[in-house]
Amino acid sequence: MDRRDFLKRFIKAFFFALSLSIISIISYIYPTKIKQKKTFYIYLTEEENLPKIGIRRFEYIFKNEEKTINSFVFLKKDDKGLAVFSPFCTHLGCLVKWNNIQKEFICACHGGRFDVEGKVIAGPPPMPLERLPFDIKDGKVYIGIKLYG
Amino acid sequence: MGKVFDWLDRQFHLISPHKRFFQRSVPPDLNYTYCFGGIAFTYFLILVFSGLLLSIYYVPSENDAYKSVMIITNEVPLGWVIRGMHKWSASFFIIFIIIHAIRVFVSKAYRPPRELNWIVGSLTLITAMASGFTGYLLPWDQKAYWATEVGTSMVGTIPFIGKYLMYAIRGGAEVNAATLIRFYSMHVLYLPLITGILLWFHFHMIKRQGISAKL
Repeated sequence: MDRRDFLKRFIKAFFFALSLSIISIISYIYPTKIKQKKTFYIYLTEEENLPKIGIRRFEYIFKNEEKTINSFVFLKKDDKGLAVFSPFCTHLGCLVKWNNIQKEFICACHGGRFDVEGKVIAGPPPMPLERLPFDIKDGKVYIGIKLYG
Repeated sequence: MGKVFDWLDRQFHLISPHKRFFQRSVPPDLNYTYCFGGIAFTYFLILVFSGLLLSIYYVPSENDAYKSVMIITNEVPLGWVIRGMHKWSASFFIIFIIIHAIRVFVSKAYRPPRELNWIVGSLTLITAMASGFTGYLLPWDQKAYWATEVGTSMVGTIPFIGKYLMYAIRGGAEVNAATLIRFYSMHVLYLPLITGILLWFHFHMIKRQGISAKL
């Protein structure tokens, strides 16, 4: 083997070793535990407390080993049936308020406004209010909230 | 050369300024004992890269340091390899600096005009040992704690200024969280920077003065 052949083989071996190390380094850097959001069903209220028509705010407390969440949701009942809205504005996550005179959800932070179906009327929010899954069993209302767990 | 290299050379002019370096003459009677300095430098490069990778997961705090080292060793994929490489390269770095120094001494390569290069090399050995000492505390286990306790107590035996020097190194009267963050900062910021600058001097002087002839 002359000098030129040796150098060619050496450079090939070098790049082979380099690509192996890059693969190992990526596997070292990439996180092993990536938590996914899961839906937890929690008890909200009795079925008889649901509004006959219109929107009502319900508070709930969620507890597990890691955290306690003290929040609320909006329940809407009309001829289309029941819907549960998350109160978090889709713009930057402020809590929206239901204004019963204007019949709108209003976000105080940047003036986002949503209609009774949760659709954006005005302001910066890019998406309608999130509808949460719900379940009614034996006269009890359960809602599904998404959490890392 | 290849197309990619030619293109890079047109952008950065790699060949022409380095021609003098790549085509310089070396003494005809070199042998493999002249490789020890290069081997030590290779260990330094391994230390830098494995250290950069370890710093992604290491947490230099009183409560999390030991836990994060255990996570690197047991949970992170190939984390034990990276930590092992860092640990063993640290030992071999110092061993090969010493062997290299013995070779330089035996072949009389420390004599003028290279006396400053010998001094810079000695300073590199000191910063390497300081890196070893500060890095030894970072796993934050019993061995690390007591080694640092004993090592910093030795500083305290210097007459008159020893006690104050010891407080300065420990960041307080005893080895605690302040010592850990101090040693971490030294280990990952100051000492590698100083070592890098010293090695640049070291190599620059070799380029200017050439390799010393054999015995």
